[in-house]
Amino acid sequence: MKKVFLLSLVLLLTGCNITVLDPKSETASEQAFLITFSFWIMMIVVVTVFILFARFVWKYRYTNSRKHILPKDVKGNIKLEITWIIIPVLLLIILAVPTLAITYDQSPEWTKESEDAGIEIDVTGKQFNWLFRHRNGKEEMDKLVIPEGESIILNLRSEDVIHSFWVPELGGKVDVMPGKELTYEIKHPQRGTYQGKCAEYCGLGHTDMTFQVEVVSTQAYAQYLHQ
Amino acid sequence: MERVMIMRKQEAELFQDKKVGFFIYLGVEAVMFAVLFATYMIFTPAGSGPYPSDVFQAEMVLLSSLFLLSSSVTLYVAEKGIQARKGKKTLLSLGLTLGLAIVFLGLESYEFYTFVQEGYGLSTSVFLSSFYVLVGLHAAHVTFGIGWMIVLFIHYVRPNVSYSLYKEKQTIFSYYWHFVDCIWVFIILIVYLPYLV
Amino acid sequence: MKLSVFGYELVIPTDIIAAWVSVILIGIVAGYIIIKKRKLGVVWDYMKTTNHRKIGILYLLFGIIYFFRAGVDALLIRTQLAVPNNDFWVFQGEKYNELFTTHGTLMIFFVAMPLLLGLMNIAVPLQIGAKDLAFPFLNSLGFWLFFAGSLFFNIAFFLNLTPEVGWTGYAPLSRAEFTPGAGTEFYVFGLQISGLGTIFTALNLIVTIIRHRAPGMSYTRMPLFAWASLITSFLILIAFTVLAIALYLLMFDRLFGTGFFSGDEGDPVFWQHLFWIFGHPEVYILALPAFGIFSDIISTFSKKRIFGYGTMVASIVLIGFLGFMVWVHHMFTVGLGPVVNTFFAITTMAIAIPTGIKVFNWLFTMRGGVIHFTTPMLFALGFIPSFVIGGVTGVMLSLSAADFQFHDTHFVVAHFHYVIIASTILGVFAGLYYWYPKITGYMLDEKLGKWHFWTFLIGYHITFFPMHITGLEGMPRRVYTYSEADGIFILNAISTVGAFLMGISMLFVIWNVYKTHKKKKKVSGDPWDGRTLEWTVSSPAPEHTFEPMPVIHSMDAYWYAKVKNKPLPATTNVRVKPLERDSIQPFCIAMSLFIVSTGLTFRWYWLAILGGVMLFALLILRSITDEREDFYGKSDDHA
Ligand code: HEA
Ligand code: HEA
Ligand code: CUA
Ligand SMILES: [Cu+2]
Repeated sequence: MKKVFLLSLVLLLTGCNITVLDPKSETASEQAFLITFSFWIMMIVVVTVFILFARFVWKYRYTNSRKHILPKDVKGNIKLEITWIIIPVLLLIILAVPTLAITYDQSPEWTKESEDAGIEIDVTGKQFNWLFRHRNGKEEMDKLVIPEGESIILNLRSEDVIHSFWVPELGGKVDVMPGKELTYEIKHPQRGTYQGKCAEYCGLGHTDMTFQVEVVSTQAYAQYLHQ
Repeated sequence: MERVMIMRKQEAELFQDKKVGFFIYLGVEAVMFAVLFATYMIFTPAGSGPYPSDVFQAEMVLLSSLFLLSSSVTLYVAEKGIQARKGKKTLLSLGLTLGLAIVFLGLESYEFYTFVQEGYGLSTSVFLSSFYVLVGLHAAHVTFGIGWMIVLFIHYVRPNVSYSLYKEKQTIFSYYWHFVDCIWVFIILIVYLPYLV
Repeated sequence: MKLSVFGYELVIPTDIIAAWVSVILIGIVAGYIIIKKRKLGVVWDYMKTTNHRKIGILYLLFGIIYFFRAGVDALLIRTQLAVPNNDFWVFQGEKYNELFTTHGTLMIFFVAMPLLLGLMNIAVPLQIGAKDLAFPFLNSLGFWLFFAGSLFFNIAFFLNLTPEVGWTGYAPLSRAEFTPGAGTEFYVFGLQISGLGTIFTALNLIVTIIRHRAPGMSYTRMPLFAWASLITSFLILIAFTVLAIALYLLMFDRLFGTGFFSGDEGDPVFWQHLFWIFGHPEVYILALPAFGIFSDIISTFSKKRIFGYGTMVASIVLIGFLGFMVWVHHMFTVGLGPVVNTFFAITTMAIAIPTGIKVFNWLFTMRGGVIHFTTPMLFALGFIPSFVIGGVTGVMLSLSAADFQFHDTHFVVAHFHYVIIASTILGVFAGLYYWYPKITGYMLDEKLGKWHFWTFLIGYHITFFPMHITGLEGMPRRVYTYSEADGIFILNAISTVGAFLMGISMLFVIWNVYKTHKKKKKVSGDPWDGRTLEWTVSSPAPEHTFEPMPVIHSMDAYWYAKVKNKPLPATTNVRVKPLERDSIQPFCIAMSLFIVSTGLTFRWYWLAILGGVMLFALLILRSITDEREDFYGKSDDHA
């Protein structure tokens, strides 16, 4: 168990190889920060428990010399018990602060007019394709082209069941609902080509409901719109 | 004599078990109806389809409520009767309760029937769907109660059923019936009233 | 495979054929053994029994059978996911979707639930000094309803009608427009019937614990497993009732054309709310009894009283209470808005606190003790660190913005297998080894038990640890394959190896049970040097227990009596024991609901009505054959 954990530590330290921890937009960076930050706080908890665990199990194990010991009864210890209420509360408060800030900023919402100006794109999910519709009416199936560095505002809606829009490098998921339009914002994507996928189980073709995202320069995007 | 006392005590213990169990069961029923009330409130009025006040008829609700709620009174009399060991009083008021329940069920079936005739069926709109699943489930409870009362009559005449056992059975039934009535009050308050006044 | 019957072309997938063949073979072997050893009487006896220990055995038996079945599903899942672009047998697309639906539903409803209910059924009455559950008939009915529901759900596979909506059955996918076949009906009715049974059993346990404790067994002296069972039962009453209504509405949507969960007029999110108002408390329903088992075991094998009994009880209550306030953490990406998301993020994080109290109290129970590494204790020791890993990933998931990335990936799969297997599955194994003498009179082999423990624990970490990383690499749940470019091949292959190691570990259990029953070495009533009342009765627990009834003056009274070398005080002046009489009626009632469901599923309404008539006839029959009739009024005349 310990070994597995060390392995994971190494992997997470070299986290830049892991997709989600190697973000390519501001939105995803904030999320990656939250993940790494919470990971380290959780490591404090895990390491504390593991050390106590290993120590107690080793020290108080049954041995021949301890055969006839009748352990003293301890009913409890209010001071200790309060300690392990207070410390977790503090850790959770530390965690809650960035969580609240980022969640407030990022949560997808049912049709709200976005205050920020940005590139608006209508996304329609249906079994088992994605249709992207740009402001000037240009449509493309399963391929999303967006300009780098801008705010991308997605208006998502489904024609049938629930899907979920996800490009790991650019940001978290937003569900795509029938009958309701959701708005989600991806801030400042970086140039590159990424895989997008449907993250909500939606039936037979769920696995294959993928799409391509190309983040291109602003000029290239303008060109693309008029192709 | 002592034997009788022990017996009484043991019966009381068993009855208390049953009572506690049954009250918990009614708690389960309450959660069930609460979820259905919530469903009704979420979906009513529906975006499309008829508006509730176009569907409901005040007289119908008033009339059926009259019958169902008075059945709680007659059942109460039956409880008094069984406690005082007045066989006739018990049977008579229980019979009256049964009658009132049957009339209620008839009226409610008629109400549903007229709704459907007017084109307000189960799947016409989400409002009507949630109306039917809620009020329909209540009607199913009334139906079950009617069956239960009939079985009570059977028990009354069966030689194997002692007085104390019969009393228990009727008491448990009366909890059920008052509960069903209570749900009806909520149905009036939540389902009908907001759209009839 | 294609068959041509009377000119019809029938396509039967080979996995279905394999299932039929294996079930028929197992059936023949089982039937042969039963008849050869003249055990038909035993089967009949168990079908009629109302004794809590025997019903508990039935729960455990079927829980374990379904564990093997759902485990085989898990191995098939892992085989298909072992390498990129795999084409294993038939398990791509539709068949894969059926696979994880069956695996998840079976594991949660038909493995974890019956195993826990079985242990509660056996141990709780013995721990609190009750002579049986308060309502023996209802107990039997509860089991047979569970059985009928599980049978109904399982039959779907043999008819090639397996549901494929995930264990969460999200609408509108679960509505008839998108899953028109009868498959989803099996999900709806299977859960409905078995859920009803679970509610009855929970009710029964509550009344038993409230009203049937031994004299002096106050709430402050009750073993923690009994406490956990009590709180869990309350959670069941609320959670399973909400599920029942959710399924009731879904049934109307599917069969009678209503639109509660449709995308146009209804609201698919409403299903999610209902499902998770059930679903989240459900995960604590799975965890709390396991916590109770571990508390008793850790205390027993550290030879020390539990540390902080009061806070242990308080934290169970608090977890149960908070469990109803966090359900939206499964729905962060649904778009309920920032206020809702943050509110539920915070309530979710708060659950870490009472859970933490428990973890540290367990640790400090061991401190200063003398820890005996018996098999049950090993499982308890394996639980603590594993559960903490799973718990902290839960806290990471609860950070709503981070969950936008985690949601519906294998990170979530890793989280919940960590917590569920650490708590429920290890807890059930611990409980099985611990109470096996009380259940059967034999002690399971310790050496094989330890082999089982180590292979299972190692396999479990090898299987699920890599999934954290594949999740972060962008692997969604419920997909049957991935490409080489995703860079997750090695990690998935490791997972698969681990899964097979877990499979192998289960073979030790089979071997162990076989060996134990071959040896037939009886043990005493108190083989573990226990602390609680179940160890005062003989092994296996007889049908008439606690005669005379012990009188309790402290927590762990039996232990302190042993320490002082004095017998427990006892009394014969006790309340009447629950009335019971063997009856086949519970079985028949459950089967009539099975018939109703079959009728509704295939729209054979005549059959549904027939089943309904049968049900009511049986209820009347039950009413006039009430065992109370022979007991009541011996002192009294007729009405
Ligand atoms: C036994 C079952 C079980 C248990 C006990 C838990 C416990 C917890 N779970 Fe888990 N969960 C599931 C079973 C369980 N879960 C399942 C089945 C799913 C997926 C369902 C599906 O989608 O199919 C799920 C999914 C799930 C999600 C949704 C993920 C998603 O789909 O996006 C979330 C999000 O918040 C979550 C959070 C938590 C938290 C915070 C706890 C907490 O209770 C954990 C608390 C424990 C600890 C934290 C460790 C001990 C504490 C300490 C040592 C004290 C100090 C700690 C701190 C200061 C942090 N769980
Ligand atoms: C109690 C709950 C529980 C338990 C114990 C398990 C146990 C296991 N689960 Fe479970 N799992 C769920 C509950 C559970 N699971 C749920 C709720 C889901 C979500 C479903 C959904 O998405 O809808 C899920 C989903 C799920 C997935 C994700 C599928 C996907 O999203 O694509 C995977 C993938 O690896 C997996 C693997 C495993 C494995 C390897 C085990 C192993 O621990 C299994 C170990 C057991 C065995 C291996 C069987 C033992 C024996 C033998 C095989 C003996 C050999 C046979 C003979 C001699 C005849 N599970
Ligand atoms: Cu669309 Cu999954
Ligand atoms: Cu949850």
